[in-house]
This record gives sequence, C-alpha cells and structure tokens, in this order.
Amino acid sequence: MFEKMIDPTAGPDVAAGDAPRLAERTDRLDGLTVGLLANTKQNAAAFLDAVAESLAEEHAIADVVRRTKLSITDPVPPDILTELVDTCDVVVVGVGDCGSCSASAVVDGITLEAAGLPAAVICSDAFQVSADAMAGLRGSPGYRYVRTPHPVASLDADAVRERARTALPEIVGLLTGARPGAVAR
Amino acid sequence: MSIDEQALAGLRDTLAADDYRLAVTESETGYQVTITAGPESCDDCLVPKPVMRSVLTSALGVPEDAIELVYPTDPA
Repeated sequence: MFEKMIDPTAGPDVAAGDAPRLAERTDRLDGLTVGLLANTKQNAAAFLDAVAESLAEEHAIADVVRRTKLSITDPVPPDILTELVDTCDVVVVGVGDCGSCSASAVVDGITLEAAGLPAAVICSDAFQVSADAMAGLRGSPGYRYVRTPHPVASLDADAVRERARTALPEIVGLLTGARPGAVAR
Repeated sequence: MSIDEQALAGLRDTLAADDYRLAVTESETGYQVTITAGPESCDDCLVPKPVMRSVLTSALGVPEDAIELVYPTDPA
C-alpha cells in the first residue's frame, strides 16, 4: 500500500546527483499571478490564503489562483499542474504538515520548477527528515523550502495568519531572485 | 555497520510527530525496522517505503537490501 502512494523516483526531469533545477526568477512579485497549491491538511488552505493576503498587501500581486490536491500523498495531478503553468507566474505550495505530505509537497515544488514556475514550498519543521529525503530521491538534494514550526493543523485562525506573516520574507525570497535568509539548507 | 544515532533520533522524532514509532533490531543479514502506529496516527501520513529506506540507509549505515522494513499495514 505505502509503496504505491508516491513513486519518489518517478519524474523524467531530474537525475540523481544533479543540483536542484530551478526556474528563472524575477526580482519582484508586483503584477504577477500567484498560484496557491494546497493539500487537504487542516489549515493548509488557510495558511496559503494568509500568505496571498500579505502578498497582495505588500507586493501588489495581480491575481491569485487557488487549487487543492485531494490526496496528501500523491504529487500534483497533471491537470492542476497544467493549469498552474498556464495561468500563474509563481506558486506557493503547502503545507507539508505530516511525513507523506511534506515529501509530496517537495515533489510538487521540484515538479513546478522543472516546468518553469518558481515555487515556494512550506513544510513544518518536524518533517524536515522526510522532506529532505524526498528531495534527495528526486535528484535535488539541498532543495530549499520554508520551514514553519510544527504543528500547523491545530492552530487557530489568528495563529495561522501570524505564521504566514512570519514565513512571508522567506517565501518571497524563494519566489524571487532574493536570497532568503533562513530557509532549509 | 555503524549506526548514526543522531540521524536515527531525528527519524524517530519525525515519526513521533505523526504518532508513529520505530523499532530497530539486528538480524542475520542487517536490520529489521518495524514501524508501529499509535492511536493518533493517520494512515496516509507515513512516508512511502522508498523514502523511509533512503533515510534508514543513511542512518543505519547499511545498503537498502540489508534493511527489512515492516509497516503497520503490511501483512503479518
């Protein structure tokens, strides 16, 4: 059963030992369309919505496209991937708040980058081991993502918004050419 | 065989966050690693076996084929 959830070696775009292959970045988010790729974990969508709200306030983004993966374990479905690629300039992915969904979120980030979209993946810090392991298996050791303290699922609405605000500089750093100061690795 | 206790502890902590436990026992050919689920665990939260094997290979200092990995849903 667990062998079938994700094939971590699947994916034609990365080879073992390669450095993470990242999409080209712009310097600013102003005027860009931001995709939000949420999973179904509690507070994942709320976290990403709070990120989008802050991006609108502070970075004048043009639009937001929201999509939800119905499986926390599987990579982004092809139809959603195509939609994001066709309609968005950058994508925020999250929240990896369990072992399998953190690994899956990292796969999604790597997949989006390979498709040409800058991505910022958010995982809770308790699952760094699984997120990093998946990045290595996908040929992207050292893949950078934003870590937020575990847990996320049990937070109330105000705490989720605060977490999102705290994570925002790192998210912006990953989505743009700026060098984020406190991302993993 | 040299176990990286720090890496193993990190894996235990990660599993515990999803209410899973890890037990490692030596076998004739390497190690048997058994994952058990606690009452608060969710079936979908455990990483796929290839991911777990990747972490265990590094933590236990042995090749993948020296690790017998048992998940909660595996047939007894």
